[in-house]
Amino acid sequence: MQIFIQTLMAGVLLGGVYALVSVGLNLIFGVVRIINFAHGELVMVAMYMTFWMWQLWGFDPYVSFFIVAPVMFLVGLALQRFIIQPIQGSSSAMKIFVTIGVSIVLQNLALYLWGGQYRSVTTSYTTSVLTVGGVNISVPRLIAFAGGLLLVGLLFFFMQRTLTGKVLRSIAEDRDTARLLGIPVSRFYMFATGLSAVLAGVAGVLLTPFSSAFPLYGAQITLIAFIVVVIGGMGNMVGALVGGILLGAIQTLTGTYIAPGLQQVVLFALFIVVVLVRPQGLFGAGVGTEEVGLK
Amino acid sequence: MKRYQIVIAAAVVVVLALLPIVVTDQYLLNNAILVVMFIGLTVAWNIAAFGGALSLGHAAFFGLGSYTSALLLLRFDINPWIGMIGGVFVAGLGGLLLCIPLLRLRGPFFTLASLAFVEVLRLLSIYARGLTGGSEGLTVPSRPGWLWMSFLGREPYYYIVLVMSVVTVAISAAIYYSWIGYQLRASGSDDEAVNALGVRSSRLKVFSLVVSAAMTGAFGAFAAQYYFIIDPDTNFSYVLYALQPALNGIVGGMGTVLGPIIGAVLMTPLGEYLRDAFTAEQGLSYIIYGVVLIVVVMVMPGGLMSAIRTGTDRLGRGGRRRAAAAVSKELEPTREEVKP
Repeated sequence: MQIFIQTLMAGVLLGGVYALVSVGLNLIFGVVRIINFAHGELVMVAMYMTFWMWQLWGFDPYVSFFIVAPVMFLVGLALQRFIIQPIQGSSSAMKIFVTIGVSIVLQNLALYLWGGQYRSVTTSYTTSVLTVGGVNISVPRLIAFAGGLLLVGLLFFFMQRTLTGKVLRSIAEDRDTARLLGIPVSRFYMFATGLSAVLAGVAGVLLTPFSSAFPLYGAQITLIAFIVVVIGGMGNMVGALVGGILLGAIQTLTGTYIAPGLQQVVLFALFIVVVLVRPQGLFGAGVGTEEVGLK
Repeated sequence: MKRYQIVIAAAVVVVLALLPIVVTDQYLLNNAILVVMFIGLTVAWNIAAFGGALSLGHAAFFGLGSYTSALLLLRFDINPWIGMIGGVFVAGLGGLLLCIPLLRLRGPFFTLASLAFVEVLRLLSIYARGLTGGSEGLTVPSRPGWLWMSFLGREPYYYIVLVMSVVTVAISAAIYYSWIGYQLRASGSDDEAVNALGVRSSRLKVFSLVVSAAMTGAFGAFAAQYYFIIDPDTNFSYVLYALQPALNGIVGGMGTVLGPIIGAVLMTPLGEYLRDAFTAEQGLSYIIYGVVLIVVVMVMPGGLMSAIRTGTDRLGRGGRRRAAAAVSKELEPTREEVKP
């Protein structure tokens, strides 16, 4: 029982980070209607930024948030303006390939500049542990989970209550009508992609204290984030949160009780099953999902 | 297909068949084998793309072909030629499995499901150590001679892969120009309209994906014999055998007969060249490769084939405009005569 709770706890904490990455992916997907295969690479880039700021200038990973977030926003703006916007009107196959191209470039840029070795940050709290009722909880993982939860909450509030959030939702719902009403859609697209990149960046910052950065880190996390989005429902923020935690828990439970080598297999199998049985996701999908391919 | 197209194709095949007489350098011959193999892989991938399916899962079929043939040889001492047929069969079954998401999902989500499919098979082949040898993989024993499809020189491999690719191109062209091809292409551009007209596009999609998967499996079995060693990270490699054929197809022109061939002929040597040129700088070759991909897609969203087509159209239109200008010039005196 002790092992079960311990494993579940680790899974839920991991799931918080998955949720954070997925919410960013969900945002660009719901608003801009693009499947961003380079989203995980944005997380990877943010992890490297955090690592180098710690290595070169001795910045605490959580302090570097204040530099990483604005830089990632600019990266997102540039991505939307120069890469995605020119092909906004072309087929989904082309959009997929452009973002795959971006992910190839970013992965190999990291490999070229910083080599293939694992880069990890060591701080005073890296190995610190909270013990609650015999269950050990890693402090940086708990911070990542809480941070993820907080950001998803903030984003939810932002999308529901602020004018910008409402505009973004209106674009997600009906792009053409939004344009007719005088909303500068392409400018809000840039904002949405920037925000999505910031979320990826924050995920990278929160991950760095307990995960090593390496060039292929993004490739893994992109696929997992997609699975979370599909399971939670497209454009559904709360779904992404629940889906992320669910996936994290399933992953660690598989690792403990079945086999560590099968962790990802189970996730992918779950993905395929959900897609077949409930393609709209477990918690219902947002509007306009048929446009991007879900029936 | 017109007669002159068949004549040109036959001439190209004859020239390619004579290549090893001129090229004796083993390094160049290895590159020639790679180019011909990727022509075959891209054309096979493209058969599924006739109906609009963008698969990033073909490495699954490649790996299934490799492992089936190698395991049949190692465990049951079954001849690799028969093993190749086994590989085709198992890869076809894998294709049938991927048809479930193909029929349920559209566009990007099928692409994602296909990607997950490769990952599942790769991880399973690492996990099932007893059967597949785990991440160290399997070594195929060498028994030189045509009987066991194993040679010391590269020339026989070149001829085998050339025949396989020619067969793949022939199958692709046969499907493209048949009623199946027409209906598939129509369903690729508007599936609902085609279904409303009474075409059962689901069957055709299943057919095209299974054929595409089976052909890919044959090349996987060939690779097992050519490289001797197979392992999960190579033979189920998403980058090598799923992304690469798709990339070639996109660059050349997805869903056409000639496009994938052009794409493979241009992109495979580029990849090899970049890898050799920048061996010292890790990753630099792929950075250039990625930039080429982004630029090609942004400049020519339909691939080279559509760029060539619009190019010739424009030339044609220019010619007509010039002709029209000449005609109006001739008419000018008449107009002046009309003037008071």
